[in-house]
Amino acid sequence: MARTKKMEESDLEVVRKELAVQLAANEKLVAELLLARKELVFQKEEKGKRAAELGIANIELAFQDEEKGKRAAELGIANIELAFQDEEKGKRAAELGIANIELAFQDKEKGKRAAELGIANKELAFQDGEKEKRAAELGIANKELIFQNDEKEKRAAELGVANKELIFQNAEKEKRAAELIIANEELAFQNDEKEKRAAELGIANKELVFQNDEKEKRAAELIIANEELVFQNNEKEKRAAELIIANKELAFENEDKEKRVTEKEKRAAELIIANKELAFQNEEKEKRAAELGIANNELAFQNEEKEKRAAELIIANKELAFQNEEKEKRAAELIIANKELAFQNDEKEKRAAELIIANKELAFQNEEKEKRAAELIIANKELLAFTYISSHDLQEPLRKIQTFVTVILENENKNLSENGKYNFQRMQLAAGRMQQLIEDLLAFSRINTTEHEFEKTDLGTIIEEIKIELKETIQEKQATVEATELCPANIIAFQFRQLLYNLISNALKFSQPDIPSHIIIKSGIYKGSQLNNPKLSPEKNYCHITVTDNGIGFEPHFSERIFGVFQKLHSKEVYAGTGIGLAIVKKMVENHNGIITAASELSKGATFDIYIPSN
Amino acid sequence: MNLKQLKVLLADDDLDDCIFFKEALTELQLSTHLTAVHDGEQLMQLLANETFKLPHVLFLDINMPRKNGFECLAEIKLSEKLQQLPVIMFSTSFEQEVVNLLYKNGAQYFIRKPSEISQFKKIIHHTLALIAPENISQPARENFVITV
Repeated sequence: MARTKKMEESDLEVVRKELAVQLAANEKLVAELLLARKELVFQKEEKGKRAAELGIANIELAFQDEEKGKRAAELGIANIELAFQDEEKGKRAAELGIANIELAFQDKEKGKRAAELGIANKELAFQDGEKEKRAAELGIANKELIFQNDEKEKRAAELGVANKELIFQNAEKEKRAAELIIANEELAFQNDEKEKRAAELGIANKELVFQNDEKEKRAAELIIANEELVFQNNEKEKRAAELIIANKELAFENEDKEKRVTEKEKRAAELIIANKELAFQNEEKEKRAAELGIANNELAFQNEEKEKRAAELIIANKELAFQNEEKEKRAAELIIANKELAFQNDEKEKRAAELIIANKELAFQNEEKEKRAAELIIANKELLAFTYISSHDLQEPLRKIQTFVTVILENENKNLSENGKYNFQRMQLAAGRMQQLIEDLLAFSRINTTEHEFEKTDLGTIIEEIKIELKETIQEKQATVEATELCPANIIAFQFRQLLYNLISNALKFSQPDIPSHIIIKSGIYKGSQLNNPKLSPEKNYCHITVTDNGIGFEPHFSERIFGVFQKLHSKEVYAGTGIGLAIVKKMVENHNGIITAASELSKGATFDIYIPSN
Repeated sequence: MNLKQLKVLLADDDLDDCIFFKEALTELQLSTHLTAVHDGEQLMQLLANETFKLPHVLFLDINMPRKNGFECLAEIKLSEKLQQLPVIMFSTSFEQEVVNLLYKNGAQYFIRKPSEISQFKKIIHHTLALIAPENISQPARENFVITV
């Protein structure tokens, strides 16, 4: 600035000097004019006026000159300013060049960031799907819980009824136990009575035995007495016979003594009668003795019976005592069981109360989950909107980068160093990759938003279309795509077309460099039990589709990882790609309620097995 | 660390970033030797190799084919032989949760790859200066993310 001011001052000096010269000339002119005017004053008044006008004009000119001088000074300043601005523009241009390079790098970073946003978007969409599934599952689980709760309430009510029943039964049992105790007491009393009776019977028996003994003794005595009597009788008969003989002798000897004899005969007759009487008495006594023997035997038998009965009564008594004891135990047990039931009843009531609380809690949770599901639906809509924005707004600046890169490479080719050209080419590649990423991400997020219309579709037709689309690559890789054994499948045709396209183009991409690619696609309907996959229901029918290639394959431990989003096994420099293709395939198979697995060994080709439920 | 040569191992699948990294090292006053691998499996194979002399520091990218930076870090910290190796995590994106997890898993520092080449170089120079002392321990969480 100081320099500029100095320049201004010197310029002003020049202008001032010039003005001084001009002023001197003007003064001369004025003097001449004054002389001329003096001459003309006399000649023409008009001329005098003219001179006055000229004077004014002159003053005007002088003023104009002054103005011109100022303008010249200003122009000088402006000129300096312009020179300065030019210099600044030069610097700015240099800075812009640097800024441009900087922008190119920032663009690249933004490209990466956009790719990351794409991942996040996909991940969010996926999580949303999962959350919706989870919400649906929770809804079902909740209904199940409500149903279970209902069942539990019913059960609790039933238990309440059962409990009342048990209480009633318990009361009945207690009554019964009380009755049993009374009955037992009665029995004990009866037992006592029976024991007494048995004791009495024992005594009576002994008495009877004693009586029997006495009777036997008496009978023995009677027998002896009888025998004696028989003997006496015999003796008497003998004596009578002797008396008869003696009588006859006497009759012969003492005819005179006939009177006496008669007397004696009378006496003998009397004796015979007495004898007969005695014989009769003897007979009677014998009968009586026989009767006593029978009675005795009878009494012995009765005695025996009574002893048996007494023994039986003792056993029965013991049995009753034992039963009584058992009944007492049982009554005690019933009292305990009753208390236990009362306790269980309390517990069940508590449990029922807890269940009611739990039920309310579940109902609340259910409500919360429904709210959450509604929120998720809104969030999902927002995500869809975000996807839409990605599809348009993200691609637009990207296209600009690509356009400007081509502009620079075409127009500034001569001005760029080899390194500069290389950097621009890298930029172009990075931008191309980002475009592919955005497109793949969009394809991935669109899977769940497009229509899910199942229709019987001929896989052969789809494969033929894909073959036409991939014609150039197939020719380049000298590939054969074999698809002869196919069955029609019930599928979402649009999705399955993309799915098979991804698998076939993958098989072509990962072919072995020096071996012509050979891809075999087969499909058939099988029962789950016929297919070697434990996740399938053995009873259900499946459409089994296999895509087999003879390409570079992969190590077996990558067989699940390859289906993950952005999962790649190779550097992008070796095999271009975004790592989304198989993630799309998997998601589409899942949209068909199917399963996909991959099997491979390094350099031994790969096989993809798809199982779709078939009716 | 009075070393004749600083041995640096870089695991990054991005070819451009590898070039930038190499350029950054050549501008350093210190003599360095750079080994670069381009996926996690290569890295773990190299580190497991008996004949491979362990580097002084490992710069580890998160998103790589076959095995990502998380998996590599976990394996390194589980290995008795490797757990002392300072691991500088190196990523394009910055997510707080990811950074927290890396800190928890024992990474030494986290660097977000700058988009400006000069910053890129500066941050690498700065990081190498930070790990220069011997037997460094994990910094406090607030110093885990390196910025310049």
